[in-house]
Formats: sequence, structure tokens, C-alpha cells
Amino acid sequence: MSPRELRERVVVTGIGLVSPLGIGRTETWTAALAGRSGAGPITRFDASDHGAQIAFEVKGFDPLTYIDRRAARRMDRSSHLAVAAAALAIDDARLEIPADAERYGAVISTGNGGNATYEDAHRTLLERGPDRISPVALPMIICNMAAGHVSITYGLQGPLACVLTACASSLHALGEAADIIRRGAADVMLAGGSEAAVTPYAMAALDASRAMSRRNDDPAGASRPFDAQRDGFVLGEAGAILVLERMDLALDRGATIVAELAGYGATSDAHHITEPHPAGTEQAQAILRALASGDIDPTSVDHINAHATSTVAGDVSEVRGIITALGAAHAERIAVSATKSMHGHCLGATGALEAALAALAVADQTVPPTINLANLDPACEGVDHVRTAREQAIRTALCSGFGFGGHNAVLAFTAVDA
Amino acid sequence: MSRRRVVMTGIGLICALGVGREDVWRSALAGTPGAAPISGIEIGDAPVRMACQARDFVVEDFVDRRLARRADRVSHFALAAAKLALADAHLRVSDDGREIGCILGTGTGGNQVRDDNHQTMLERGVDRISPFAIPYSMCNHPPAEVAMQLGLRGPTMAMLTACAAGTDAIGTSTAVIRRGDAEVMLAGGTEAMITPLWLAGFDAMRVLSHHRDDPASAVRPFDVSRDGFLIGEGASIIVLEELEHATARGARIICEIAGYGASADAHHITDPDPTGQSQARAMRAAIADAGIAPSAIGYVNAHGGASRPGDPSEIAALRRALGDDHAADTAVSATKSMHGHCMGATGAVEGALTALAVADGRVPPTINLTDLDPECAGVDHVVGTAREVRLEAALSTNNGLGGHNAAIVLVPWKEQ
Repeated sequence: MSPRELRERVVVTGIGLVSPLGIGRTETWTAALAGRSGAGPITRFDASDHGAQIAFEVKGFDPLTYIDRRAARRMDRSSHLAVAAAALAIDDARLEIPADAERYGAVISTGNGGNATYEDAHRTLLERGPDRISPVALPMIICNMAAGHVSITYGLQGPLACVLTACASSLHALGEAADIIRRGAADVMLAGGSEAAVTPYAMAALDASRAMSRRNDDPAGASRPFDAQRDGFVLGEAGAILVLERMDLALDRGATIVAELAGYGATSDAHHITEPHPAGTEQAQAILRALASGDIDPTSVDHINAHATSTVAGDVSEVRGIITALGAAHAERIAVSATKSMHGHCLGATGALEAALAALAVADQTVPPTINLANLDPACEGVDHVRTAREQAIRTALCSGFGFGGHNAVLAFTAVDA
Repeated sequence: MSRRRVVMTGIGLICALGVGREDVWRSALAGTPGAAPISGIEIGDAPVRMACQARDFVVEDFVDRRLARRADRVSHFALAAAKLALADAHLRVSDDGREIGCILGTGTGGNQVRDDNHQTMLERGVDRISPFAIPYSMCNHPPAEVAMQLGLRGPTMAMLTACAAGTDAIGTSTAVIRRGDAEVMLAGGTEAMITPLWLAGFDAMRVLSHHRDDPASAVRPFDVSRDGFLIGEGASIIVLEELEHATARGARIICEIAGYGASADAHHITDPDPTGQSQARAMRAAIADAGIAPSAIGYVNAHGGASRPGDPSEIAALRRALGDDHAADTAVSATKSMHGHCMGATGAVEGALTALAVADGRVPPTINLTDLDPECAGVDHVVGTAREVRLEAALSTNNGLGGHNAAIVLVPWKEQ
């Protein structure tokens, strides 16, 4: 049991998801439990020249449902996704934001910011000259602008940041946002990430790094974490934002608590710019730090929403890291799922999307599956791989994220007694 | 349990004012302009042709040949500043490096790598993009590369709050040490935005100075004739240490990081809130976090971006935070007049200069402030040349596009 005072404890009271599995918490969670895939051929641009021609796109999303037309025109899609996810999160938390919201802040991350706007602006520069660049290009491109728009749209006047660690970004965002509450600098934080990188250059450049699947003829089967036939990740887009609140204040207002964000651990591999350390040593340290930071009994870890991107090297090192951190005997009993099999790798938004699924797993005492796991890679053995949704007791759920550059982040969510 | 205290024990500085702590500090005290016509890089028909380049920086002095060729200038700056900072702190990284992390601010990451690869794709096809296009352009590459080269295995991340990022990186690193997640943090920022796209992008926003004929006098914070900033480049990385860790190894302490505050305008994506009330809240939060009275602040290194609306709103914020009476007695300077606007690094450059002011008892000036805008009156502007001031505490403050405000409070270290 955590010895922290209630005012130093942070709980999740709202979840806003705009994901390849659906719009809204319920739609996404239902699809995840049903083991659906959100993948398909790329529709956002003509990808016929590209090596990787498939993606997990957000479908049926109209930014104007959430943002007025004039403001929407001055935002990149990455900001549309963030502002919409924030709206859904605030609604889900039944949060009334006061006019002087000085104790409300946001940490909204991304991998790459306004990709589509960057590509248009740079092309304009090259083809038509510097005097044709739009005055709103730069603000639409920079990575912190999704956070800025969330703050401006909802009047959040507290601490406002974007932390960026590639594919681990929005886990660091959630961890740092929770610390902002714990150290007394805010009472409520909107935290998460957004990413809209299904664009010609971002797709081509990611593909050039040789980390993407080229299983173009089988989009739904392409993202297959832990499977012997995996050949890389499949890009996804998403906005995923959680409402984090100081526990005593959440209880005072009668909020419905999804789970407690009880632990956060961050480490660095200091190993290689794109490859994880093969032994997962520092990933294991991040797990241990997350547990220690919340005084959480390691044997209470019943579920891990793994980073597992479906790359050959990454999935193996992750399982090794889990075994190193928690011991082989306990690791075998941990229900592990790689939900990227269903929603793809949403880069800077992926951590928050998976954290939301981990928190929902705790709330519902149900583990979502890894799909496409037909032939388990023997190198990924040693944990309890979950292939169809399963009801079970979950005391603590971990969510892991590892970014290019060797950034590791792990969050621990625990059940809160009603 | 009392709160862990965080002190600064090393500074690595690279900017238009020089390379290395002493070099930069000497130039800053002398009121040296860092601006000049842009040279050494191809800027095409960019509308603004001057900037504050780090002209004395020689990449090969700090970075091996392969990385010098492949990685972006933004990462070169970061690696060099990190090495300078560690050397200045006389700090040896332990074998596992788990007690040391790194948080670096940046505005946009590896611009040249991204622009080059994007142009290659447009001109030669998608299959001609370098496998390093993403890793060497991503905004987290500078801290990741620093961690890799120096063996740091603690918390490592990039901080993006536009022009406030360097300040937020120092503040967040302080929080990381206080909460026990690291004993040492390399904190700061790095930026290399003197590129055709950003020269055009900023100019389209009408925020760059057009004093074309005379770069040295172009950046004029608080002056009635100010017309914008010039882009600066460089990196500033400081070594932050938990107090007992520093004293146990006999480190020379430069100052204490006593307080950090952050807030958001929630007003407009590019224009500051004219009342300055949100900026003032960040300043007051930093002062409260330091456990001091506003009247203890003797010097403010202002954001002072030489923007028409920004400078008056910042002075309004200072007067709110410090009170009109004390604000009038507080030494204020905008060192951007010398090193330019280093974007995601600027808060760290200015944080380092503020630390040196606190340690040295000398305050660097605002240059080019010949005719004070009455809307920027109400503080004690340090004009033209450095001034000796015995400081109890100093404030460094920055604001970023998107409405980010951040402030840190630094206090002198007294042997105790």
C-alpha cells in the first residue's frame, strides 16, 4: 500500500481517445477487446511510390466536431487530434474547468509535430520562394503547438509543456504531468500525446530507417508483435489524452476514478540511436524504478501493456527486460499484450493510447489481446501472451514505452478501491 | 523529510558570444554584439540575411568525424556543450551512469537533416532518403546522443516549449533531482535554426528585425525603435547536482537552483497576453518555490525578445510579480541583444548568464537600448555596460509561442 498522502497521489479520471480503433474511450476499448485491427492501405496520400503503403489511420474523424472552422484552419492535423482527444477526456471526466484555471495544466507530446504542414511549407519554399511561406506555417509545425492549442481551447493556465522522447514521448508526458501534480504545481493535468505522421515524407523517412513492415498485401496482419514472422512496425495516427487529478480533490468532487497512476520510471539505454540494448537492461531498470517510485510490490504486477512494436530486435529485448526486472517465475504469470497489433505504432501518441488501455484494463479487470500472434517467436517466450481478451484480477498494470535514442519510460497503474 | 536541494556545478556555453563559459561571459559583460551578416551557409534568397551565428564553434574540436558529417548541427552543439559542462564541473560519470540524466530544450530539432532529406525525396524519390533522416532530425536526438556518448542512463528527454524550452528543461531537471530520480542532470538547450525555411517562416510572422544595414544594432530590446529579433544559435548545458552529492565530491558550486515556476497564457498562439498576468504567475511561482520574498530578487535576465507587443507585456508582468516599487529598483537586462534569440536554447543560455551574474556579482547589460520605450519603463534597465551588484537572488524568465511561460530563481552559494 502506498504510504503517500492522498494529496500526493494522482488518479486517472478521464480518457479521451481518437484512435485507429475508434473515436472515444468506449469505441476504442470495445474494439480492442474484440481484437480488431485498424489497419488498411494508406488513404491520406498516394503512397504508390512508397515501400510501406499501409497504416493505421484515424477514420471518420471530423475536426469541426470539436474545433471551430477558423481555428481548425490554423492547426495541423496533429493539433486537431489533440484538441479532440482533450475534449473527449474532459467530457469523460465530467470536468468543469473554471474561468481562472490556474491549477489546470497540460503536457501534450508528439514525435514530430506538424508533419503535413512542414512538408507543404518546405516544398513551397523550394518551389516558389521564401516570400510564399504562410505566417502560420511555423506555429503549425512546431512540436509544442498541440499543447498550446489544448491550453488555449480549454483555458488551462497552469504548467504547459511538451516532452519529446520519440516513441516513448507520451509516457514521459504522463509521468512528468503526474509529478507536476505531486509537487503541488497543479491540481489537474491533461496529459498525453498526438501524432499525425501518415504523410509522404514522414512515412518515407521512417521506412528508410528500416524499421517498418512492408507486408503491404496484408494490412491487418502486418503488425504482429512477438510473432516469428514479424517484419517491423506499422505506423498509426492518434490523439490520446488522459485527465490526471490529485486524488483527494477527485474524491471530493465525486469523480469516477479509472485507476491510480502510482508509479513512473524513466531511464536511458545510452547504447544505440535506433536499436534497443539487446538485454533490455535499462528497460528493466525503468520497470524497477516505476515500482519503487510508488512503493508497489513487484509481485502485484498482473498485466503489462508492452511497447512491442513488431520489430525483430525490439520485441525480444523487451521480454528479456521484463524477465530481468521481475524474475522468470513471476514473468511467466504476467498477462502481456501488445495492443499495437490492433492500433499500430502511433509514435508520440502511442504511449498515452496504451496507457489508457492499461488503465482501462485495471478498471475493467480485463486484459486486451495481442492479435496476429500465430507463431510465437521462441525468443519472445517467458511471459503469458494474451491472444484473446481475458477477464482476470489485475492489481497493477504496467505500460512500457521505448523510443529511438534509447529513452525508456514505464508507468504503473493500480486499482483504487471504490 | 526536507526537500533535496539542487546546485549548479558546471556550465558549457556555445553561442554567438563565444565558445566556453569564460569566453561567453567576458563578451557578455563587455556588451559585445553577436549579430553579423550570415556567412558560411547557403540561405538562398532569404529575406533576412543576418543572424547571431556561433562563428567560433569548430565541430571537430568536440565531435568525431563520422558524427560531424552525419548528425545535425543542433546535436553537435549539444555534445560540445555537454562536454564543456562536464569538464567545467570536474565531474566523472560513473560506470553505470544511472544516477545521471539529461533534459535538453530545443525548438525544432535537426532542421538541416530534415530539410536535406525532404528535398532529396522531392527531387530524387522516396527511396533516396538516408536511413539517418529520422534519428538525426528528431528533437530528442541531442539529449539521446549526449546520453550515448557520455554514458548517462538516468531520465533523458527533450523539452519543447518553444522559446521557453531551455528554462523548462532546467526547471524540470531540478524537479527530477528533487524527487530522487537522479543525483545529477545535464540540463539546458540546443538550437540550430539558421536555415532558409525558418528565416522565411519567422519573417512571414513579421517577428525578425530588418535593420539591414547594421546587424550589430539590430536587436534592440525595450528600445522605442525595436522591430524584432535575430535568430541565434548554440547550446547551453549546465550541470545540476543534488547538494550532498556535490559537496561530497568537493565540487565548486556556482549557485543554487532555488525555484521554478511555469504557467500558460491560454490566450493566443503567437501573441503574449498583454496584461502579463500569466507570465507574472510563472515568476511568482518560481519565487514562492524558492521560499524567498519577491523583494529578494535583485536581477532579472528578461526574455526581452525585442518584439513590439512582447517587451511591454513582460515589463508589465515583472511589475505584477515584484510589485511596482521593487520592480523599479530591480536590475533588468535582455542579453538577447547580444546572443540573439536562441529559441529552444535561449532559456539555458540566459540561465547560465544569470548564474554567472549571481556568482560573479556583475550583471550583463542590454545593448542597443538607446531610447527606452516608455511602455517598457518601470524597472532598472542595465544599459550598455555591465554593472556590479551584490545579488541575494536572480530571476531568469522566458516565454514561448503557444503561451508557455517559465521562470527560475537562482541564489548565490554561501559555504555553510
